[in-house]
Amino acid sequence: MKAEEYKEQKEQLSGWPVRIVSYKLGNIYHVSINNEEPGAWIVKGEGPSLAEAEAKARKEAAEALAKVKKNPPPTGCTSVPGF
Amino acid sequence: MATQVQTAVKSDVLVSTSWVAEHLTDPKVRIVEVDVDTKAYSEGHIPGAIGWDWGKQLCDTLRRDIIPKAKFEQLMGQSGISNDTTVILYGDNNNWFAAWAFWQLKIYGHPDVRLMDGGRKKWLAESRDLNQESPKVAPATYRAKDPDFSIRAFLPLVQDASSKKSADLVDVRSPQEFTGEILAPPGLPETCQRGGHVPGAKNIPWAKACNEDGTFKSAEDLKSLYGGVGVTGQKPVIAYCRIGERSSHTWFVLKYLLGYKDVKNYDGSWTEWGNLVAAPVEKP
Repeated sequence: MKAEEYKEQKEQLSGWPVRIVSYKLGNIYHVSINNEEPGAWIVKGEGPSLAEAEAKARKEAAEALAKVKKNPPPTGCTSVPGF
Repeated sequence: MATQVQTAVKSDVLVSTSWVAEHLTDPKVRIVEVDVDTKAYSEGHIPGAIGWDWGKQLCDTLRRDIIPKAKFEQLMGQSGISNDTTVILYGDNNNWFAAWAFWQLKIYGHPDVRLMDGGRKKWLAESRDLNQESPKVAPATYRAKDPDFSIRAFLPLVQDASSKKSADLVDVRSPQEFTGEILAPPGLPETCQRGGHVPGAKNIPWAKACNEDGTFKSAEDLKSLYGGVGVTGQKPVIAYCRIGERSSHTWFVLKYLLGYKDVKNYDGSWTEWGNLVAAPVEKP
């Protein structure tokens, strides 16, 4: 078995730069979505077709990235809900 | 001041994917995959490679610490690794946790351990052979040395380095983590209460040490990258990130590819510092 159709592409997802990596192993397509910076893996999807695997990964990644909080409250504030 | 920089011999610590392909059945070599994504190994791995789960096998599962010596000996032995085995580590995310494993093997004194340059990504991209079978491994006897903490920084040393400028602190996280705009890489769990960085640290994201294909940049480029912001090896260096795995990648670069003599990985990293009560935090 070898990885086939290996491909990387960069784009913005939910406002974050990501790198989408896809390849085929046997009969299964694997897609992982990574942060462009710092390169961390976020989610993975797999399926019998590239479109299916990518759609699954994109959906989960978009949900995860949409939850990222920016600019947390200043030091000393501990009563903000969710912080 | 006398220079601390020594000449590194890349081949002692780095092998190419071609080298690995030629040594798949070499009885003196054990290939080990260590990934961030612990399911990646079972999808397909280098034929004959074994897989280590960093969260279960390379950490103390009770307290926050590296694997204890006795468990390390057990892991090596059950992995068929003797003290004279050449261990080749590789993994995803440009060898993040492979470098973390490398660092632990050096803490316990394993003499011959190397990273596969480019990691899992390069092996896949080159369409090299993979399989899904876990190899049958004949257990070996392994005796670890006492831990060498000259390559590991604990909190008091980092506090000293920050307040007395006794070492160069290198924060290898992303610029947005460094400035405190975010607390963790987007999509990953937040593990700290406060954002920012250790006062005095310089921000050199780990990935700047890599080429697009995942391989390490040339020694000349690396020297320019770190030396360009004053991290030259003339002073001790302490690298940190969020939990210590990205910084073990930078630790590897500084210690073995640039040959800096005194480099430590602060595995407590921002998860420790960013949760300390009353610790100074710098936000630009």
